[in-house]
Amino acid sequence: MLQRSTSSSHHQMTSRRDANNEDDDYDDIPLQHQRPFGTGLHKKPIAFVSASSLSTVTQTQPTATKPTTGASIADLYLSMVLPDDTATTTTSRSKSAPPSTTPTTDTTTTTTPSESTPSTITSQPTISEPSQLCPICNLPLPPSDDPAGLAAHNASLAHQLCLPYSPPPSALDRTRMGLTYLSAHGWDPDARRGLGAEEQGIQFPLKPRAREERLGLGAPAPARKSKEQGKNGEEAKQGKLLDAKKVRKMAVEDRKRREEIREELFGDGRLEKYLGVGRVVQSAPGSRAGERRRWLGT
Amino acid sequence: MADLSKNLKRSSTDREGSQDTKRLKTDGNGVDAMSAKANPYLAHLNEDGSDGAADRGFKSPLDKLERRNTTADQALKAEDSDINPWTGQPHSQQYFRILKTRRDLPVSKQRQEFLDLYHASQILVFVGETGSGKTTQIPQYVLYDELPHLTGKLIACTQPRRVAAMSVAQRVADELDVKLGEEVGYSIRFENRTSPKTLLKYMTDGQLLREAMHDHDMSRYGCIILDEAHERTLATDILMALLKQITDRRKDLKIIVMSATLDAEKFKTYFNAPQLTVPGRTHPVEIFYTPEPERDYVEAAVRTVLQIHASEPKGDILLFLTGEEEIEDACRRISLEVDEMIRESDAGPMAVYPLYGTLPPHQQQRIFDKAPEPFRKGGRPGRKCIVATNIAETSLTIDGIVYVVDPGFSKQKIYNPRTRVESLLVSPISKASAQQRAGRAGRTRPGKCFRLYTESAFKKELIEQTYPEILRSNLANTVLELKKLGVEDLVHFDLMDPPAPETMMRALEELNYLACLDDDGELTTLGHLASEFPLDPALAVMLISSPEFYCSNEILSVTSLLSVPQIWVRPNNARKRADEMKQQFAHPDGDHLTLLNAYHAYKDAEQRGEDLKKWCHEHFLSYRHLSSADNVRAQLKRIMETHGIELVSTPYQNKEYYVNIRRALLAGFFMQVAMRESANSKVYKTVKDDQLVMIHPSTVLTAAYDWVVYNEFVLTTKQYVRTVTNIRPEWLLEIAPHYYDLDTFEKGEIKSALTRITEKVRRRQAMKGGK
Repeated sequence: MLQRSTSSSHHQMTSRRDANNEDDDYDDIPLQHQRPFGTGLHKKPIAFVSASSLSTVTQTQPTATKPTTGASIADLYLSMVLPDDTATTTTSRSKSAPPSTTPTTDTTTTTTPSESTPSTITSQPTISEPSQLCPICNLPLPPSDDPAGLAAHNASLAHQLCLPYSPPPSALDRTRMGLTYLSAHGWDPDARRGLGAEEQGIQFPLKPRAREERLGLGAPAPARKSKEQGKNGEEAKQGKLLDAKKVRKMAVEDRKRREEIREELFGDGRLEKYLGVGRVVQSAPGSRAGERRRWLGT
Repeated sequence: MADLSKNLKRSSTDREGSQDTKRLKTDGNGVDAMSAKANPYLAHLNEDGSDGAADRGFKSPLDKLERRNTTADQALKAEDSDINPWTGQPHSQQYFRILKTRRDLPVSKQRQEFLDLYHASQILVFVGETGSGKTTQIPQYVLYDELPHLTGKLIACTQPRRVAAMSVAQRVADELDVKLGEEVGYSIRFENRTSPKTLLKYMTDGQLLREAMHDHDMSRYGCIILDEAHERTLATDILMALLKQITDRRKDLKIIVMSATLDAEKFKTYFNAPQLTVPGRTHPVEIFYTPEPERDYVEAAVRTVLQIHASEPKGDILLFLTGEEEIEDACRRISLEVDEMIRESDAGPMAVYPLYGTLPPHQQQRIFDKAPEPFRKGGRPGRKCIVATNIAETSLTIDGIVYVVDPGFSKQKIYNPRTRVESLLVSPISKASAQQRAGRAGRTRPGKCFRLYTESAFKKELIEQTYPEILRSNLANTVLELKKLGVEDLVHFDLMDPPAPETMMRALEELNYLACLDDDGELTTLGHLASEFPLDPALAVMLISSPEFYCSNEILSVTSLLSVPQIWVRPNNARKRADEMKQQFAHPDGDHLTLLNAYHAYKDAEQRGEDLKKWCHEHFLSYRHLSSADNVRAQLKRIMETHGIELVSTPYQNKEYYVNIRRALLAGFFMQVAMRESANSKVYKTVKDDQLVMIHPSTVLTAAYDWVVYNEFVLTTKQYVRTVTNIRPEWLLEIAPHYYDLDTFEKGEIKSALTRITEKVRRRQAMKGGK
């Protein structure tokens, strides 16, 4: 197990490096000169780096935008996961940061439309602090003169999740005359309100609950019902079962019915085909269950 | 007193009365336009108010009093005087006897405190537990302070139940030593027992609401008391919202909201009014729960009653059950078991009385009978057991109850606007109800309450407060009333518990389909007319459109019969004979027509001069309900005549006689139609709402018709439709084309059936056109 986990971390690291390299390629080489995706992959040796060199790699990245965006992304994640804490930290940071960087931030934000277009980002390490936070989701807002960015922000999952819960609209038939009347007098079917001076009334009609006749209060209704039914049913059945001819007939009918079901299920051989011939279906789940039990025990 | 007759109000009412009798004789000729003067609802407008304060021809202790500035001492003196301050007659012996017991009531001690608060504020919330005497005494305290004979402004006291309004009015008339219907009267739907002399009027809350429709400011009243507000009936809720508005316009109108439960905080904040609480006379009540839930609560209740009878000391028992059938069943079982106990183990005697709303009043009265004496001196004590619905929870005071058995259920109305089904379901009560029930045991001495559920069920399964009726009802009638009351904005109408928007929408749409409201929700002419009838909108619309089908006389009878409880009597010991008798009146096309046949037979017997009670008994019909249907019919007829609705009939010999009636039913009930699912099936599907239903077994229908119109939906363990009549689907397309617009239907059997019928009708017409 341990070994597996380390190897997987190696894979992750290499893949990340690849991604970085790809980014580099993408940034530096014009499109027409780029080689098609995947060509020469086998020639490029995959470099495995030890854990300590990871930081040097990221530090020695030629693009300075990466670490800053990474930090901001970390902030974003924090603000999602711990909304209260991050709200304070991000505000404190934005409070402490601006004095030194305000002029540059302003200029960069005005010049660069948004940080989602990394190709235009210069090596200035200052654009990561947005000037505004969204009041709903506490995330940095794109500048107000970018309607597309704002729309994208509003449509983002993080923003949508932070919106106050809006219940689905009422299922009432909108063409009903009664509803027309009530809404004409200011009642909103989707507002989840009742009638009354302050619309404080009940929202839904009371439900009638049918009761077993003469059953005492607090007595379990279904249990008694099944018991009694069972008793009655048994009595009725006993009356029938006394007749041997009927019993035989019932048995024949029963068999026929079972046959029919079997025919329907297995008759055309589709099921066997689906399951595959000769496969033992039963043993596998059993062994797996045993395995799981062993796991749980340790 | 003589001067009162000069009162314009009285003369106008008299005139109206004589016109009525004339009209009744001429039968349908009295269509002449009814002026505002002749309208009893508007009678107060004719008063100029100057003649009210004139002296009444006798000296009264009240003469020195100043309106709304009296003290309890002054009132007590007036009550103690030898002559009746209201009539000038000497007080009877009985009066003083009752007066003594009245002075012992808990409210009596706080009369001055009440008056002080009453003077200080326009709205007052009064909390007094059952038995504190608030329903009978507070209106009288107000009477001695308002002095309505000076201003002509009456005092109204509303009650949720008709029976309560009648019986309390009688009691208060006795207490004041006046005749019922004169100084003290009552007014309930289809029955008005008041006179121009009336100063204090008990009425149902629904009746006051109907009066408000013609008098938006309630200007004939000086003080309105809403009693039993804790019950939160539909009408009381509407009245509260309405009165809250009116008090802004009419600063001289006083409102008292009376509640029997201690959670009056809600009323207090709603009205922003001071509160006065009168403690009831209560003793501690020990509460017991069952360790396990019960399988059959009726069975458990019966056993508990017998256990109490066998092992507990003297004291009466009150058992709460849910409905008539269940109560009668339990009564029978208890009586049988007690008889056996007496034979086997020398138990004391026990009298068992049922108590529910539809019980005839004289039988309701029996619950106040004394418990039976022991069989021999020193023997085991006798007791009475009352098996009641939740009537006995707050509105009735029965002394001597020491044991309460509470299974935790009551029948509650619930309405689902999505399926348009209003049903009475046996449902768990609320915690507040359970406490109220337990409280019934501690009226005379420390008592015990046996709850037939576990303590955890009490904590977990019961809601805190029972839902007010307005959240559990179809609001079509209410919306029509509110529109007529001039409420424009139904959304922001300040109700204490506003209903669900969907319920309101359904009501608006139903009224729209009935053409009572236009598409903007404004009252139409038909809507105005329909609101004049104290009926559900569907019934009212059916009645109004019946002349178009040449059968308004018959539809009037059917409407009246549908407005009273079931006229069929089916005693448990004679079910078969009762069914046979019903079969005599049966019409193959349906229950509505069968009802009509029974009514015609009843009127026939009346004409022959038969003893109607006996006749009804022999034919298993309820005399009480039939005669009240007859009374309702007379009242509705008067309203129809007032508004110029013709009373016509198709000749009975005409073969269209019953067809016309069946078609006329659809004019109001086109939204209550069901189609049979498939041939040989007993299951029907309701149109548009797609509810699967069966026809109630009480029907006379033998053939399984494909299309039926039904009067009501009954939801028990199964879904039933009751009072059903066979119709033809072509009529639906013809009578209610806007509702049966095929584009509005969802795909299904009903739509395809209706499409086929449309095609058929079109082909037939094309054939006719071709010829």
